[in-house]
Amino acid sequence: MRGPGPAEPAERLIVGVDIGNSTTEACLASIGPEGAVSYLGTDLTRTTGVKGTPDNTPGALTAIRGALARAGRSAGEVRTVLLNEATPVISGLAMETITETIITESTMIGHNPTTPGGEGLGVGTTRSIAELGEQEPGEPVVCVVPHGWDFDDAAATINAAVQRGVAVVAAILAGDDAVLITNRLARAVPVVDEVAAVEKVPLGMLAAVEVAAPGRTIRTLSNSYGLATVFGLDPAQTRQVSPVARALTGNRSAVVVRTPSGDVTDRRIPVGELVLRGAGKTLRVDVDAGAEAIMDVVGRAQPLDDAHGEPGTHVGGMLAQVRDTMADVMDLPGQPAVPVSEIAIRDVLAVDTFVPADVRGGLAGEVALENAVALAAMVSTSRSRMQLVADLVSEGLGAAAEIGGVEGEMAVSGALTTPGVDRPVAVLDLGGGSTDAALLTREGECTAVHVAGAGELVTKLIDSELALGDREVAESVKWFPLAKVESFFHIRHEDGTVQFFDEPLPPHVYARVVVLTPDGPAPVGTRHGLDHVRRVRREAKRRVFVVNALRALRQVAPGGNLRALEFVVLLGGSALDFEIPDMIADALAPHGIVCGTGNVLGTEGPRNAVAAGLVRTYAAGPMRAAPGPAT
Amino acid sequence: MLVYRHPSAPLPVLREVCAGAEEEGVPTEVVDAPGGGDAQDATALAHAAALESRLDVGIGVDASGAAAVHHAKLPEDRPPATTGPDAAPPDWRRAGRIGARVVKGLPLMEGPRP
Repeated sequence: MRGPGPAEPAERLIVGVDIGNSTTEACLASIGPEGAVSYLGTDLTRTTGVKGTPDNTPGALTAIRGALARAGRSAGEVRTVLLNEATPVISGLAMETITETIITESTMIGHNPTTPGGEGLGVGTTRSIAELGEQEPGEPVVCVVPHGWDFDDAAATINAAVQRGVAVVAAILAGDDAVLITNRLARAVPVVDEVAAVEKVPLGMLAAVEVAAPGRTIRTLSNSYGLATVFGLDPAQTRQVSPVARALTGNRSAVVVRTPSGDVTDRRIPVGELVLRGAGKTLRVDVDAGAEAIMDVVGRAQPLDDAHGEPGTHVGGMLAQVRDTMADVMDLPGQPAVPVSEIAIRDVLAVDTFVPADVRGGLAGEVALENAVALAAMVSTSRSRMQLVADLVSEGLGAAAEIGGVEGEMAVSGALTTPGVDRPVAVLDLGGGSTDAALLTREGECTAVHVAGAGELVTKLIDSELALGDREVAESVKWFPLAKVESFFHIRHEDGTVQFFDEPLPPHVYARVVVLTPDGPAPVGTRHGLDHVRRVRREAKRRVFVVNALRALRQVAPGGNLRALEFVVLLGGSALDFEIPDMIADALAPHGIVCGTGNVLGTEGPRNAVAAGLVRTYAAGPMRAAPGPAT
Repeated sequence: MLVYRHPSAPLPVLREVCAGAEEEGVPTEVVDAPGGGDAQDATALAHAAALESRLDVGIGVDASGAAAVHHAKLPEDRPPATTGPDAAPPDWRRAGRIGARVVKGLPLMEGPRP
């Protein structure tokens, strides 16, 4: 440590503060007379309020005081606090279901009860079990058993009818006792159970019931020609029933009823148009055309000036909402409201996804995977209120505070403290709402872009594709590895390794797919296996972060050529993810790029880059007198 | 799966417990608890049954109609599932199914079923 000099104090204590969308980070350093920087401490806290607003002040002060406390310094010693100039960027998300499956006249039961009974195919006329006593022997019968029938009574009634010569070839049950009834039948037939709305099964109609052997899927009712054979259909009718066959694919059991005009339709829902303005053009695309078509149009309108959705549609509503939120954020009391025209949507990311949705007209809670498009939109404005935050921080801390630099440039500067990195360097900041890229060339020129779509979109995709309906669970699926609980005392991790426990695992996780949170295994509420959940998680990350990494880097790379990049440093919260950095590195490897998670100052990992960059830039700048306290 | 019953355990409870296991395809054997079962509640009966069961899973039904499911490797005071004396037939059926699902290594049917 140097002693104080006579004229200029030998060391100046400064704090770099990075106010991000979700976290606020501080970096405390002392700068020697020659501009040598010694880093003294860092801190990280939750951002208070929306980024770029006066509400950020408490969080900034917490982080500054935290860094000071760690270094054993006091606020009175601070010469200057440096804040980042941030382009306020907020993002919005919307999910549009673009297909819908509708069953009319209760023609099909395509759910998968866990324990159907019997096996094989039974084709006959539907009759209620209450009328089985009056049934004349002859035509084959499919027996329909409503709620309230005990399994012993139902089995006895069917056996009595069979005794009289009635050919009962299959049964459809409301309750969950297919195995119990099958075990008591004199002659085993296929039985489908757990049909909640069994009273809606049309009676007196020809029906086919199929149950496959354990571990198998149905073969006849999931085959269009199988249906044609069973019901004697002509080619035109066969064409009509092909959606039924498709909807039943992969099931272990199914019922198809032939009614005069019953049908299963698979229709596309028009969800509105997206209007993109940019590169001197105005382009339109239907959202139900899917992600690929939308991204193609976005690419042709790059750089995007603005985007609008058709009013009265979900897309229109979502884009309007993002715009309104931004206008609110930017409003200053006592000043005219920010005109909405000044707030432009600068990027859109569309991702194809699917949503498990209840089938309309289904009798047993059938679920169909419907296609959907997820959209992330990002707006930015030229107005920033960081100067006001700086004034408030100065007031709160009793030290000078100023804007030290623009976010993208500072992030690159901070990233350069990662061991092994040199210019030209690009950083990828993997955030919650947007993915940001900045490039610093060998000559020292810096360019930065923000693209829509990041961690929050990943969470939303996981949530809807697994039908979790719980953002917190989806968030933990994103953050933590999976495992399968195999007994009360051991789990199998997703890589196949087995871990044993001394204490028994709680019954609510028994045999379930779990996420390994720091608080212990938490169940994932899905019927899907571990492999499926893992695939959904990785695909969501790939479709957002890998796609966006390439998109953002192409925008900053000279001539859009990724080969011109040498070092890519991953920063931000999602750079701490256990697999995203590897996925991006894999995608960049063919372009000859060195890519990895940053380690700012050699100690901070992907955190603190902007704060450290603020300090470095200040230290490298010309000697300056401390500015007077802001008022 | 072994079911230990108190000699005066209600028959409807035993019927539903066994039906639950049968629907899941797991065989059950119902026997009177060794020693009469007077000194044991459903959980203790279930644990004793689990220790004797070749599948390591037991169910106990006591005189009051309360039922419990147990696994031989679990501590006696931590049964995976219990039903009280005032439970209804669907609860008894569920107890049987849970026992069977422990045997089969399937989730125990609580929580969401999508």
